[in-house]
Amino acid sequence: MGIGPSTKETTLHHFRDPLLDVVSKDEDIDLLGIMMVGTPQDNKSKYFVGKRAAQWIEAMRADGAIISVDAWGNSHVDYANTIEEIGKRDIPVVGLSFIGTQAKFVVSNKYMDTIVDFNKSKQGVETEVVGENNANYFDSKKALAFLKLKMKKKEGAK
Amino acid sequence: MTEKIMRRLVIKSFHIRKLEFGERNSIKDNTLTINKSTLLELEQNEDLIEEIRIDIIHPDKYDKFVNSIMDIIPISTKVLGEIGEGVTHTLTGVYIMLTGIDTEGKQIAEFGSSEGILNEQMIFNKAGTPSKEDYIIHLDIILKGGIPFERKLPLTAHKVCDNFIQVFREILKVKNGRDADYSHEFHDKVKKGKKKVLIIKQIAGQGAMSDNNILSEEPNGLVGGKSIIDMENIPIILSPNEYRDGALRAMT
Repeated sequence: MGIGPSTKETTLHHFRDPLLDVVSKDEDIDLLGIMMVGTPQDNKSKYFVGKRAAQWIEAMRADGAIISVDAWGNSHVDYANTIEEIGKRDIPVVGLSFIGTQAKFVVSNKYMDTIVDFNKSKQGVETEVVGENNANYFDSKKALAFLKLKMKKKEGAK
Repeated sequence: MTEKIMRRLVIKSFHIRKLEFGERNSIKDNTLTINKSTLLELEQNEDLIEEIRIDIIHPDKYDKFVNSIMDIIPISTKVLGEIGEGVTHTLTGVYIMLTGIDTEGKQIAEFGSSEGILNEQMIFNKAGTPSKEDYIIHLDIILKGGIPFERKLPLTAHKVCDNFIQVFREILKVKNGRDADYSHEFHDKVKKGKKKVLIIKQIAGQGAMSDNNILSEEPNGLVGGKSIIDMENIPIILSPNEYRDGALRAMT
């Protein structure tokens, strides 16, 4: 499975993205930017782009990252790998993803301990209804709150 | 806290209260008028397209069969500067809905299609969907049948849709900013001493439909942009203002 109508983010969604709105308005956060990373077909390329993404975040000296994904299944391979690469660099990371009952992660790792599930359908499946399973303000606020906790915990551990 | 403002973006919105077909394409007194013959010209320029159908969907009249919903797109244009800074004009109260099928009845969708009664196939009033008070310009692209499903098909549908929107962008571009119904100002800021956070959007970049177009010449546009597939999915960074100025066109 890849991206379907109920998890895809429309152009309008990007234009008024709640995640950007929540993070950019938070006075405690210095938003560095929005990174786009794609999902290549073969595994070697998946690892390549994920590692490049993480290396970039390390180079930016980021205190934390929120990673959101607009599909599931095959795309979760990329997602898990990128999260692992970020986590390995000791950078707190929180994820947003459609999971429900249908999209349990095909691969997982210890850095995937805080993932906000934005499934909205009662059945927990990809419903093919546009706009049904996208991250909203509440999901975004939750993700940022989790990240703040993680960053604080890391600071305390020093 | 010391704050440094890097860039300023102003998005001015013009609200549409009436949408109708007429003799001239125009945006005047909160009314958007569409000349249907514009579509004929667009249709004739594309070999892969059999027909472009257009319909005006009135607010809350969503009891209508639609083909697979490819995208919901706002009509926006750059008035001053490039994507991410300067001035953008956008329309509110009306959005484009792009749907598609081919002459053999195959829905233009790769993984699960969303065809059906619009009321049931879309959750309204979300960040990515119109509200129940909004008009919808429904563009239904009928592609020629018998062609194996590949990238050029949805791309063509998006292209003619973008060309259609461009007609209204040109009109919106020359509107006097003082007549806008709302104006929003956004700043790209560096907040020194605060926690440095990056947002990562993992976007689909494989297959015929799972593509995303980045940084076109016009907000939420296609022409002049780069496809994430063509960039081999390598991470690229946008400023918050570039992103909120329509730097990402979802091709799914």
